[in-house]
Amino acid sequence: MLDQATLQLLRDSLRPLLEGTLQGTIPLTVISFVLGLVLALVIALMRLSPVAPLQAAARAYVSVIRGTPLLLQLFIIYYGLPSLGLTINSFPSAVIAFTLNVGGYASEIVRAAILAVPRGQWEAAATVGMNDATTLRRIVLPQASRVAVPPLSNTLIALVKDTSLASTIQVTELLRKAQEAAAPTYQFFALYSLAAVYYWVICLALSFTQSRLETRLDRYVAV
Amino acid sequence: MLRKTYAVIAALAMAALAACGGGSSTGTSSGGSSGGGSGQTLKVGTEGTYKPFTFHDPKTNKLTGYDVEVVTAVAAKLGRSVQFSESTFDAIFAGLDASRYDVVANQISVNPERQAKYAFSEPYTVSEGVVVTRADDTSVNSIADVQGKTSAQSTTSNFAATAREAGAKVEAVEGFTQAVALLKQKRVDITINDNLAVLDYLKTTGDKGIKIAAKTGDRTEQAFAFRNDSELPPQFDKALAQLRADGTLAKISQKWFAEDVSKPAAS
Repeated sequence: MLDQATLQLLRDSLRPLLEGTLQGTIPLTVISFVLGLVLALVIALMRLSPVAPLQAAARAYVSVIRGTPLLLQLFIIYYGLPSLGLTINSFPSAVIAFTLNVGGYASEIVRAAILAVPRGQWEAAATVGMNDATTLRRIVLPQASRVAVPPLSNTLIALVKDTSLASTIQVTELLRKAQEAAAPTYQFFALYSLAAVYYWVICLALSFTQSRLETRLDRYVAV
Repeated sequence: MLRKTYAVIAALAMAALAACGGGSSTGTSSGGSSGGGSGQTLKVGTEGTYKPFTFHDPKTNKLTGYDVEVVTAVAAKLGRSVQFSESTFDAIFAGLDASRYDVVANQISVNPERQAKYAFSEPYTVSEGVVVTRADDTSVNSIADVQGKTSAQSTTSNFAATAREAGAKVEAVEGFTQAVALLKQKRVDITINDNLAVLDYLKTTGDKGIKIAAKTGDRTEQAFAFRNDSELPPQFDKALAQLRADGTLAKISQKWFAEDVSKPAAS
């Protein structure tokens, strides 16, 4: 099934697909994930705050993001907003959509992780004179981060693969490069398989990093 | 923080409303589209994965093909440089609506439904749809035999309408290659596409599993598509007439198809 011509095509495509990965998939993932985490922390703190409108806004946000398909969120931002006079280029459009998406999902993880830190930690910090902000930053978040790493890694790994949806809004990333490489020869099956291997390798690397990070963060956990 | 969040929610809500409004498609005249006559760069939307019309050369990885060369020649006549945006076929008109580009160069067949919503240049390709079946399938000998069959098509493609009108049940696919795959896996019975695209597929792959079983009978004309309020169509028509007169169009056509497909329909 894999004849000489197909093998040659796959060899020739290694480089374009790598370019798509390095210029599209990876930057898109990294930028969206970092911004998304910041957003997630903000949303989580709003959910945990005693102020009712803040809670309600956070709830509404998570509900909208989780309740609508990511593909539609991309389409609305890229194809819908221009009719309101707001035209954003394809790459930033994708970053916005993925950031909002990660923010919605990860905020629940961050909230759960913060709640998982025993109440006593807050009280202990208060007895040594820390205010709430300092306690959060120096006591609670480091311990919460250990709890949050496995589910956040899930989110990150899912995000790597979700970036393939950006090919529908003209971002040249890994999947799009595979389509481009396949079209002249009609070898979609071979090229899509190669793209799948690329995604898998990225996710393998992330899984490896996850276990390293977990070991490192273990030191924050009071036993 | 709160205000920001509300702003985000408001933006999303507005976007959702806009999307609903777009869905009812009441001639959405995209705001802020001042046409494309002024700027120096001509922004062109194309698929980039539809050989031999618009695709990436495997050696150089550059975008090329019949449509790409024709639109580049037109732009040269207009004294403008070209910038291509690539997307899947089903999203190509959404991008035009959203002013992501000013013209679509992607073998867009001219039909009344599209003419109601978009402006077109004079055609630069005349071709014919063909019905493709498995090589061992003898049940289709004319377009009439398509009645009751299942056909794999891109949903917004002109050929999806052809298939539907001929009484076929249409299954949505991403492109021609996927349609052929479904055909060979016996998940569908036929697919209808441009004879030029099918011939190129057969030539490139040497695929013996499928064949051209019948012609659809209607010749279609392919042209550049624009937003309705665009001032580009007359400029394109003039440039196309010049390219026709000086033989450039015929030359590009000979290069890709070894025949002149750019002739205007006998009127």
